[in-house]
Amino acid sequence: MATAVKIDVKEQNLLGAFQGFFKILLELEDIHALLVPQQLPVKGSVMPTLVTDPDQLDGVDPLAPAFPLNAARVVSRLTRKPMGGKVVAVLRPCEIRAFIELVKLNQGSTEELILVGVDCLGAYSNADYYRLAGENPREITERFYQNVLGGKGTQMDGVDITAACKACEHPIPDQADLVVGLYGVDTQSGLYVEGKTPKGEDLIQRLGLPAAETPPSREGAIGALVAERTAYRDKMFADTREAAGSLDQMAEYFSHCINCYNCRVACPVCYCKECVFVTDVFYHEPAQYLKWSRRKGVIKMPTDTVFYHLTRLAHMSTACVGCGQCSNACPNDIPVMEVFRTMAHRTQQAFEYEAGKSLEEKPPLSDFREAEFEEVVGIS
Amino acid sequence: MNRKNGKALVVGAGISGIRAALDLAEFGYGVTLIDRASHAGGLLSQLDYQFPNNHCGMCKMLPLIERDTASQYCLRKGFFHENIQMLLSTELLSVDGEPGHFQVSLKQKQNWVDPDLCMGCGLCTEVCPVEVPDAFNAGLSKRKAIYLPIPHAIPNPYVIDFAACTLCGECEKVCPTHAIRLSEQERKKFRILVVDDELVVRDSLKELLEEEGFFVNMAESGTQALEILSGSETPYHLMLADIKMPGMDGVELLQKTKERFQDTTVIMMTAYATVETAVEAMKIGALDYLIKPFEPDTLIPMILRVYEDFETAGALQAEFGAIVLTGGTAYYDPGTGKNTLGYGVYPNVMTSIEFERLFSGSGPSQGRLIRFDGKPIRKVAWLQCIGSRDIQLEADFCSNICCMYAVKEALIAKEKAADDLEASILYMDMRTFGKSFQRYRDEAEQVHGVRFIRGRAHSITQDRSSGDLLIRYGDSGGKIHEMVQDAVILSVGQRPAAGSRVLADMLNLPLNPWGFFESLPFSPTRTVRDGVFIGGSFSGLKDISESVIHASAAALSASRIIHASGGGLAIQAPPDSETLDVSREAPRLLLALCTCDGAIFDESGKRALRAHFESDPAVDRVEFLEQVCTAQGWSAFSERVKKHRPNRVLIGACLPYVYNAKLNALSREIGLSRALMDVADIRSPLFCAADASREEVDAAVKRALGMGIAKLKETDPTPLPSTPVRQRALVVGGGIAGMTAALAVADHGYPVDLVEQEAALGGNLHWIRKTIEGNETQSLLEETVARVEKHPNIQVYAGHHVAGAWGEVGQFFTSIEAGDGAVTTIEHGVTILATGGIEAKTKSYGHGTSEAVVTQKELEEKLTEGRIEPAALQSVVMIQCVDSREEPRNYCSRVCCASALKHALFLKEKNPSIKITILYRDLMAYGFLESYYTRARAADILFVQYDVKNKPSVVQEEGGLLVKVHEPILDAPVEIEADLVVLATGIVPTLPEPLAEAFGAHLDPDGFFREAESKWRPVDALKEGVFACGIAHSPRSITESIATAEAAAQRSLRILNQQALPASKVTAVVRHSLCILCERCIDACPYGARDFDLDHTQIRVNPLMCQGCGSCVTACLNGASVLEGFEKQQMLDVIDAALL
Repeated sequence: MATAVKIDVKEQNLLGAFQGFFKILLELEDIHALLVPQQLPVKGSVMPTLVTDPDQLDGVDPLAPAFPLNAARVVSRLTRKPMGGKVVAVLRPCEIRAFIELVKLNQGSTEELILVGVDCLGAYSNADYYRLAGENPREITERFYQNVLGGKGTQMDGVDITAACKACEHPIPDQADLVVGLYGVDTQSGLYVEGKTPKGEDLIQRLGLPAAETPPSREGAIGALVAERTAYRDKMFADTREAAGSLDQMAEYFSHCINCYNCRVACPVCYCKECVFVTDVFYHEPAQYLKWSRRKGVIKMPTDTVFYHLTRLAHMSTACVGCGQCSNACPNDIPVMEVFRTMAHRTQQAFEYEAGKSLEEKPPLSDFREAEFEEVVGIS
Repeated sequence: MNRKNGKALVVGAGISGIRAALDLAEFGYGVTLIDRASHAGGLLSQLDYQFPNNHCGMCKMLPLIERDTASQYCLRKGFFHENIQMLLSTELLSVDGEPGHFQVSLKQKQNWVDPDLCMGCGLCTEVCPVEVPDAFNAGLSKRKAIYLPIPHAIPNPYVIDFAACTLCGECEKVCPTHAIRLSEQERKKFRILVVDDELVVRDSLKELLEEEGFFVNMAESGTQALEILSGSETPYHLMLADIKMPGMDGVELLQKTKERFQDTTVIMMTAYATVETAVEAMKIGALDYLIKPFEPDTLIPMILRVYEDFETAGALQAEFGAIVLTGGTAYYDPGTGKNTLGYGVYPNVMTSIEFERLFSGSGPSQGRLIRFDGKPIRKVAWLQCIGSRDIQLEADFCSNICCMYAVKEALIAKEKAADDLEASILYMDMRTFGKSFQRYRDEAEQVHGVRFIRGRAHSITQDRSSGDLLIRYGDSGGKIHEMVQDAVILSVGQRPAAGSRVLADMLNLPLNPWGFFESLPFSPTRTVRDGVFIGGSFSGLKDISESVIHASAAALSASRIIHASGGGLAIQAPPDSETLDVSREAPRLLLALCTCDGAIFDESGKRALRAHFESDPAVDRVEFLEQVCTAQGWSAFSERVKKHRPNRVLIGACLPYVYNAKLNALSREIGLSRALMDVADIRSPLFCAADASREEVDAAVKRALGMGIAKLKETDPTPLPSTPVRQRALVVGGGIAGMTAALAVADHGYPVDLVEQEAALGGNLHWIRKTIEGNETQSLLEETVARVEKHPNIQVYAGHHVAGAWGEVGQFFTSIEAGDGAVTTIEHGVTILATGGIEAKTKSYGHGTSEAVVTQKELEEKLTEGRIEPAALQSVVMIQCVDSREEPRNYCSRVCCASALKHALFLKEKNPSIKITILYRDLMAYGFLESYYTRARAADILFVQYDVKNKPSVVQEEGGLLVKVHEPILDAPVEIEADLVVLATGIVPTLPEPLAEAFGAHLDPDGFFREAESKWRPVDALKEGVFACGIAHSPRSITESIATAEAAAQRSLRILNQQALPASKVTAVVRHSLCILCERCIDACPYGARDFDLDHTQIRVNPLMCQGCGSCVTACLNGASVLEGFEKQQMLDVIDAALL
C-alpha cells in the first residue's frame, strides 16, 4: 500500500497543482471543509479561508511569502467544540506546532481535523510583503518559490524572509497527517505527498493518485537547510544573550515598548481569555504610582513593561514554537521573537520538552514531578 | 468553630499524642495535651527523613476540615488548635473518679525563663559560659546551659538546664525582655536547714549550698533544729539531718519534724555503717539519704530535685471524660548490655538515633557524613537486633521498626554521599512485614546496591591508628567473616518509656512481661481501666503509620466514653456574632505598634513611622502602645479598636502566633472578620541584624509593616459558602473491620448503612477459631454481630453489593443491589471501605493435586472439623511465602508466619511426637510474636531458611510427600518426608477497582486501598470523605484490623459531626469569566478538589477538599484560579512592600 503519492505539476504551475489537489480532497464525501490560505480578491492579501465549495479554490496559495497571522488560533476556534463535520487544514509547520500546544491546553481538538502541512519556504514580514506584493500577489508567490526551489535564495527586491524563518529548524511539517514535500523534490514534474499518520495514510489511499517513492535527494536537501537554519539560530541566541542578558539590558531592549500588547495578541500560544496585564491586578491604586516615584525619584510611564515581557516569558516560553508573529506585530520594530526564542530554547531544554513536537508529551507546567530542579529549588 | 461539651486528656505529645489530640479536637472536644518535655513532637523532632519517600510530610496531619481553627505550618515546629490546650513540662500526678468524670491533677514544672516573654533572640546563649552535651543531637554536639531544646520549635522559648547552670547571671543581664528570672533572690527563697554535730560537715555544706544560691541555716543538734524550725516565720523547705548525733538522733528529729512541720522535706545524712537506719528512715518520711563523705556531684542534683518540686506551682486540677496515654517508647542503650560491641568505647560505633542526628541538616556536622576525626564515612555497616530478639537481655521481642529504619538510613547515607558509599546491613531476618516494605527493601538492594548480609556480629575491634572498625560476624552457616568499616551503626531496639512503671502503678494498669502497657484482647487501645486508653508506641514500638492508626483508634475510644457520659453534641461556645460586611467600604486600617517598653522606637522614630504610614490613604491611624502582649496592653489595644471602629487592624509586635486566640475572641466580640486582622513581626528585624544601623533596622520594620498593610488592604472578607453534610455513613463490607467501624460511628449517634455481599456478617472470622495468643474469635464474632444487629443506628444490608456511587464528601449517593436485583439508593456523607481480603489461591507445590498439600486456612478448617487428626501425623512441613514476597505479589501478608507458629504449636501440643519443619524466607514474628517463635524453637520445631532463588520442592511419592530444600547451616540439600505439607499463600484483597473509583479512591499496585499518605493519613483516601480499614487497607491481624476500623471511624466523625462544614479562609475559587477551561488546575490539584462540572461547563472546586496550597494558582496562567487571601494584586503589593 502506498503511503506517498505524486501530484502532477504542469508548466511549473505549483499553485495550480495545489488547487487540483485540494479540489480532490474537498470532493471526498467525508471531507466537509478545507481551511487554506488564499489570495483575497481585494488588496492582494493572503489569508486563511474556510472553503466548502470545491469551485471556490481559485486563489489557493500555500506558498506565498506572506504570514499575516498564525492560523493555529483560527483552528483552535474551529475545533474547541464539536464542529459537526470533518475539516482539512492546510498550515505552515509553525502553525501546526502551535496548534498542538493549544490542543494540549484543551483549546482545540484533532478529532474532526486532518492536518496538511506544506514544506515551508519562509515568509516576509507583513510590512515587507504588502509593500512588495502590491496588487499582484500571484506573481510574487511564483517568483518566490521559483527562487527558493531553484536555489536562488529567499531574498527578493532587497527584502528577505524574517529572522524567525531564518532561525527556524522546523521547515518540514513532521507533525502533520499529510505532508506536501517541496525540498529535494523535482517540483518541475510533481509534488510529493506523504501520509505521516494512520489518518493521513488512509486519506492518501482514497485520492486515486499515483504512488510515489521518497525522492532520494530529499533527505540531503532538508539536512542542509536545517543545518543552515540551526547555525543562524545559534548565532541569534548568542547575540540575544549578549544584548538582553540582565534586567537592565532587558529594560533597554524593550525601551521602545508602549505596552500595546500586540505581541501577546499575535502570539498563537498566548491563550488566556483576558491577559492579566489588562485586569485589575495591574490597575494600580493612584497612590501606588506616587509611592514608586518617591522611592526612585523617577519612573518610566507606563510602568510594568519589562514585568509584562517577563511574565509572558514565564507563562509561554515552554510553549513557544518560534513563529515570530510577536515581532511581526510590534509597531516599533522591537525584535521580540529573538528574546522569546532564546529563552524558550533554554526553558524547553531544561524540561526536556519541545513545544509542538507531540501530543503525547505533557506541557511542563501540567506535569508535576516531586523531584526535579533540585539545584534550583534547593530541596532534595 | 465546632466546640462540644466534654474534655479529654492526652498524655504525651509525640506523634501519637498529637494525632489523638487533633482527632478529638477536630471532633469538637476540648483536649489538654501534656508532655513532660519542654517541647512537643517527641522522638520525631530528632528524625528528619521518613520511609518511604525519605521526606518528612508530617504537615499532612494538620486539620483538613475547619483549618482556620489550627495553625497551618510545619507540624514539627509545633502547632496550635483552638480546642487544644498544650501544657509542656507537665506530668500526670493522679487520676481519680469514674470514666466520663476523671478528676486529674497535673504538675507543671516552672522554668526560669518565662515562655510568654522570651522572644527567642538567643542573646543569652551567647553569654552563657557553660557547655554540656546536647541531648537533641544525641550527645554528638555541645550546647549551653541556657538553650533551645529543639532548634526549630514554635513557640521556642529558651530553657535553663538546672543541673548545668552555674547561676553566673550573665544571661539575665542581657535578656532584653526580662524573661529570665534567674537571680539568686529566687533561690534564696528556698530555705535549707543543715543539722549535724560536726562543725566541719555543717560548714562545708553551708558553703556548697550557698554557692548554689540557696538560703542556708545550721543547727548542731536535733533540739536546736526544732527550735529554729518553730521559731522561724517562713518555713524551711528542706532539712538535711545527720543520723548519728548525741542527744536527739536524726531519726527522732525526723519523726518530730514530720509531726509538726509536714511541708519540710527531710534528707538523712549517714555514715556507711548506718545506711540501714537511713533506709528505715525513708519509711517514716525521709525523702532520701546521703552517704558521707558526700560528693557535690551526688549532693547537688538531689537538692535541685527538691528545689524543682518547690518551684513547681501547685498541682493543676481538672476534670476529663477520658484519658489517652501516648507516652511513646525509649531505646535500648547498648552501653548497658553484656556485649557492648564497642559502643561507648570506640567513637565510630554509634546508635541508629545518633546516626539520624549525624546526617540531619541540623545535626553536629550539618548533615555531612563525617566521623569525629574528620574522616568521611564511606563504608558503614548496620547491625540489627541490638537489644531486640535477645533472651539474655530479657528482650524476647522484635522491635518492629529497626529493619526498615536501617534500610532507610542506608539509602539516605548513600544519597548524602552521592552514592560513593558502601552500606551493609547485618541481619537475622529482614522483617519487611508492612505495606510496601518489601519493595522498598528490594529496591534498596537491587537499584541502590545496599548489601544485605544474613549473619550476626560477635565482636568489633578498632584499629588504633586509623580508627576504622573490624567487625567479626558469623553467617547463617556459622562461618566467621570479617569486614572493615568507617562506622558501625547499632540498630537499637525498644524499651518501655521511662516512668512507665510508676504511671502504671498510679493508674493501676498492668504491664506485659517486658514492661510495656497491655491492652485488652482484640483491642489495641482499651485497658482494664475503662476510660483510660493507650495509643501509639506506648504498648510496644510501632512505625509512624501504625502509631497514627492506633492514636486515632485511641481517640475514638476516648470520644466514645465522653459521648456516652453525656458529652457529645451540645455546642458549648455561643454562636459567632454576625460579621460586619465591610466589603463595600474603602480600607480604614488601624496600625497599632507595640513599643515594647521603649525598646523598639524612640520619639523621633515614632514620628517618622507615623508620617510614613499615614501617607497611605488606606491607613486611618497609627497608634503606639506599651507591651500589647500583656493583659493591660491588650485591653488598651481593644479599647482603641472599639473606639475608632477600623475595618482593618494590623498589630506590629513580636511573636505573631501569641495573638491568634485573642484576635479570634476580639473578632467575635466586635464582628469584624478575623481575616481583616493580622500581626506583623517587627521584633525579628531588630535582633536578626545585631550590627545593622538604625536606618537599616527602621527600613526592615517599615518593610514588615508595609507587607502586612498591603495584605490586609486587598483582603476580600466575603465568607465562603459552607458545604452541607449528610450526617450518615456508609460502610462497605461486614467483616470485623466493617462491623467495628459501623459500631464506632453508630455509637456516636449517627446512622450507618452496612452493606455486606454475603448473607451473613463476619467475613474471615467465620473460619478462624483462636488467635496465637489463645483468644477465642468466635465469641468476638458473636458479640459483634449481635451488637450490630441490635444497634438502632445501624441498618444492615446483607446479601447486597454496591452497584454504583457518585458524589463527594458530605453528599454521596450509592445504589446497592440485592440478590434479586432490587436496587436501593443510599445518601451518605462519608464512605468507609472495609471490603477485606481472602487467602490467595495457589497451584504451587502440588496444591490441588494431593489431599496432603493444604493451605494454612485449609489446615485450620480441617483441624476444626476434625478432618485432620494431629495424632495421626508424623511429619509436617510448612512452607512460607508461597507465591508471595516476589513479583507480582511482592508484599508480605503479615499474618502467615503467626499462623504457621500458631498451628505448629497447636499440633505439637496435641501430639508432641510430630516432627514439624517450617521452611521460611524471613520469619516475620514481629513485635511480641517473637516469643512464640522462641517457644516454637524450644518445642523442637525446626526452622529452615530458604532463598527465593532456590525454592524448596515437593514430590508426591507413594505413601507420602518428599520435601527437598537447601539447608543453609549444612550448606547442603536435605530431604524431608512429610505426611502433610502446609502452604502459607498470603492474602489477596477483594476491593474491586471500579468500586473504589466510584467513590474516588484508588488502589495500590497490589490491589489494596491507596492511602492519601501512608504514614500521616494512613486510613484516608486522597479524596476527602473516603476511608478504608481492615484487609482492604493492607494485610493485618484481627486486632490490627480493629485498630484501622476505629481510626477510619474517628476520621469519619470529624466530617459527620456537623450539618454543614464551613470553608476555610484560604480556599481556591474560580473566576469563571476569566477561565478558558484548559483544565490545567485539575491536573495540578494534589487533593483532587477540582473537577469539570459538565452541567455548567465550568471548573468546580470542592471547598472542603481544597487545602489552600495554591498549586492551581501557579498552574493557571489566566488568573482565573484565585486563592482567597492570596490574590495576585495583593501578593504583588506585598512583594512591592518587601522591596522597599
